Amino acid sequence: MRPHAELRTRRAVLISAAAAIAAPAIAAPTPVTMGLTPVFLDSDIQLLAQIESYLARHLKRPVQLVQRRTYQEITALLIAGAIDTAWICGLPFVRNRHRLQLVAVPAYRGEPTYKAYLIVRKDDPSTELARLSGQVHAFSDPDSNSGYLVTRALLALEGRTPESFFSKTFFTYGHRNVIRAVSSGLAQSGSVDGYVWDVLSEIQPGLTAATRILRMSEPLGFPPIAAPSQPRDRGAVAEVRSALLRMSDDPRGREILASLRLDGFVAARPALFDGIAGLLQVAERVE
Amino acid sequence: MKRLYPIPFAFKVPIVVALLMIVVAAGISKIVLQKIGETQTRHIEQLTGAYLDGLSTALLPPLMRRDAWEAFDALDRARQLYSGVHALDVLAILPDGKVLAAADPIAHPVLSLAPPTARPPVSSAGPLEADAGQAWIHREIKSEGIAIGRIAALIDVSAYIAERHEAELALLVVNAALTLVLAGLGYFFVRRMLAPMNVLSSAFADAQVGRPEIIAEDRLPPPDTEGGRLLRGYNRMVAAIEERETLRRRLGEEERIAVLGKLASSMAHEVNNPLGGMFNALAMIRRYGDDAARREGAANLIERGLASIRNIVRAALVQWRAGDSGAPLTRSDIDDLRYIAQAEADLRRVRLDWSVALDSPEIPIPAQYVRQVVLNLLLNALAATPESGTVSFFCEAGDGAFVLEVRDEGPGMPQDARARLVEGSASPSGSGLGLWTVSRIVAMAGGGIEVENSRGTAVYVRLPFAAGEVIDAKSAA
Repeated sequence: MRPHAELRTRRAVLISAAAAIAAPAIAAPTPVTMGLTPVFLDSDIQLLAQIESYLARHLKRPVQLVQRRTYQEITALLIAGAIDTAWICGLPFVRNRHRLQLVAVPAYRGEPTYKAYLIVRKDDPSTELARLSGQVHAFSDPDSNSGYLVTRALLALEGRTPESFFSKTFFTYGHRNVIRAVSSGLAQSGSVDGYVWDVLSEIQPGLTAATRILRMSEPLGFPPIAAPSQPRDRGAVAEVRSALLRMSDDPRGREILASLRLDGFVAARPALFDGIAGLLQVAERVE
Repeated sequence: MKRLYPIPFAFKVPIVVALLMIVVAAGISKIVLQKIGETQTRHIEQLTGAYLDGLSTALLPPLMRRDAWEAFDALDRARQLYSGVHALDVLAILPDGKVLAAADPIAHPVLSLAPPTARPPVSSAGPLEADAGQAWIHREIKSEGIAIGRIAALIDVSAYIAERHEAELALLVVNAALTLVLAGLGYFFVRRMLAPMNVLSSAFADAQVGRPEIIAEDRLPPPDTEGGRLLRGYNRMVAAIEERETLRRRLGEEERIAVLGKLASSMAHEVNNPLGGMFNALAMIRRYGDDAARREGAANLIERGLASIRNIVRAALVQWRAGDSGAPLTRSDIDDLRYIAQAEADLRRVRLDWSVALDSPEIPIPAQYVRQVVLNLLLNALAATPESGTVSFFCEAGDGAFVLEVRDEGPGMPQDARARLVEGSASPSGSGLGLWTVSRIVAMAGGGIEVENSRGTAVYVRLPFAAGEVIDAKSAA
């Protein structure tokens, strides 16, 4: 999926529109960039367009959504300041706590938290993680909390690593793909974002029907929208925060939130991600 | 070696036609099926080639990185992308033979050993040779000349095989129907063509046990056909045979009647001949009965005449049975003849010139025949010679034969009479039996007759001596 071309076209339209209104001497405003990972749902062009349009309307300047395959790429872009904001996972935020600031955190079922699920095939008789030893396990992303860290930390408590515990592990770079891998039987178990699994079981029941939840984690900080601590455009970050926090007040915004099955965006303190930080500590004890 | 049951043509030809059809049909079917097979193989190769090309491109990076998910993802997407290829199973296999990912991961778990069936075959049999309707296809994936894995796909070719079987069945049914129809037509036409032959053959078979019969008109094929000409020719032949048979029967009948008539008239003639002399003798007795010598001569003449008649009658009675009159010729037989002839000559006022040159008293020739020959010739000559004319007779016995000559002064022997005499040809009117009898007797005796026409007619007869041999009088009749 490559939405860039379309987005660029859109941007070009916006730029030319702005250029037509403003005096020719004034340069076109720099677009605000926002990175997205497959952290939530698989990219939906219409949804992306809606978000872009919503933000552009509130920021009164063009907004460019940037997509990459892995969390790492987006995180790297964000830390480097190449993009203004990004929707990242809690784990990269915790890892780069000093170089990042929180912009907003989605509220899911009333809380800015979610759970990580350990899923198996529906017909798998296993009842606990220990039974999955020697099997193939699907992770989402090495920089994902729910799709990697939670399970790794669980194993670390037993003094094991995923590589030693499972016969083979692989990263699918998408929670949706973890569900596909497990339901197809490619992997016997998978680590997946509970929010994604819940939403998919609602909107695409066929995809999750072949899987069941073996274990749920405790609530952890929802993947946040973050910005570099020293942003190149402070105004843009503030505008994005404002637009996100007011999203639930806007009809278009509510449409977007409904699509995402989110209540809204809330301001949060970094302490929300202490749970993840704790898991990381546990995990890093066993290397 | 003789066959027990010879097969009739009407069956042989359809059998040959059917056999030929079977051979032709088998050949055509083989070619068609081979073509279908080639087309299908090409189609499958193109399809699977494109399929494997696409898969190779998609699977190259994950195989290099040993990324199970990406490999699976590629295989999973390919399933929808290449729905034309009925892939039952697709495996991305690492160089060590382990499955990196399969389209059906449950059947082929990650890093399990690929099943032996998914290994590339040593011989490259076409996918259509698979009997289970499934075939493994393979593609080695290399990067810069180094094998980094391969793709093995189990594809469903049952649709192709079913298609081929359908074609096979259709060919079989159509060819069988064609063969039956052609064999039936062959039977029908050969039966039709051979119908005249069968008619002819049964006609010949009938002719062997009885008489050849004309084939009825309603059994004849049209005259412009070969069979029609053949059977009509047969009918003409039968008709000709019948006609000839009828003619032969009629001729035989006529001849029998003619011979009977000849015999009867000949007998009457022979009886009549001595009668004239006997009447003369009788008159002589009446007139000169007092003269003992003359009376005795006349009486002897009558006796000989009667004896002659008795002989003829007896001959008629016993049908000239051989031996009865086998007596050799004597001088007195010649004298008797002169006597009879003289009497006739006197009646006709014809002079008779008589000259006999015989040394021995007996000539080895049946007297009866000589008498018949001489008498007939003399009577004929006398009848032909006008009044005051002369008939001369001469005979001699010499060199193994008795030779006689009768000469008259008549107008010459007519052509038909001469033919009767020399060649023994039958007279159409039945007249002139005397000459015919002469001819028969001379022929029987192995002699010869010559006729010379100059100032009258001269007839020369030569009768060879019968050296103990007896002429069968019966055949002379």
